[in-house]
Amino acid sequence: MNEVIGIIIAAILCWLNFVIVDTYFGLPEQPGVRGARIIGENVEKRGGDIAGGFFQGNIVCSPDASAGTLIASIGYLLLGIPGGIIAAFLVFMGNRLCADPGYAGTVGSLTATIIIFICSFVGFTPEMFIVGMVIAILTVQGIDHKRASIVLGKIAEKFNRHA
Amino acid sequence: MFDLVYNTIFFASYGNFYGLSNITLSLFDVLLAYIVTIIVSILVALLLRMPLLPSKPYRYSFDVSAMYPTPIIAVGVFSIFLVLNYTFMYNGIVLAIVIGILSALFVKYLFDFVFPKPLDEGKGEDIK
Repeated sequence: MNEVIGIIIAAILCWLNFVIVDTYFGLPEQPGVRGARIIGENVEKRGGDIAGGFFQGNIVCSPDASAGTLIASIGYLLLGIPGGIIAAFLVFMGNRLCADPGYAGTVGSLTATIIIFICSFVGFTPEMFIVGMVIAILTVQGIDHKRASIVLGKIAEKFNRHA
Repeated sequence: MFDLVYNTIFFASYGNFYGLSNITLSLFDVLLAYIVTIIVSILVALLLRMPLLPSKPYRYSFDVSAMYPTPIIAVGVFSIFLVLNYTFMYNGIVLAIVIGILSALFVKYLFDFVFPKPLDEGKGEDIK
């Protein structure tokens, strides 16, 4: 498969994976630690959405499905499917060290492993998912906090997880 | 005559000793060993009188239970053994059962000591 097309599709798949898993497990609902609340309120002060702000703050403050997807793709590149499962285990330990129950991280990395395994039959490689995940996190955290938080807030409303 | 160290290492690395580690281990064997790990860890956790599900609300509960951290730890540790090519005998089933039992014991007796709950659980982040 052409690398550029593969990276674009992998970025979309990764974005959907981590946003859906994180939203389902309630990241936009409440901040897990105080730093996440400060980030969320700051984003709201600049005209963003409070639920999207909590989402962004929670991603910064503990490894959730976003980090899970990234580490699972790296583990899959190195060790195959057992690598993805080891990634889930490592993300779980990191979550518990960051005062987070860890449901989103483990479920996110396991679903990412399944997605990469299924896509490998079509010609996707794990490298595409690593690059795609970096691009997907960039769209949430790197380009425009305000608009990204509004989009995340709308998704949170659809899942009934708004703050 | 009786070399304890040699015999122990030979017994422990029974499959690996002649470089036969994963040659006989097919995909089906690996899948079966994973399923055995998950089932054994959940069953032993239930035998140790842990609850099946975490306390409500599920998404914010730090409590350990038979369904949530036990199988994750078991399959994670088993995967580490698998990628190190150390699968022991009977196609990894023995290793799967041992890891299942040990991970359930870890979650029951040592988990709160290694990963303590946050002090302000229940009150959120607002406690000073």
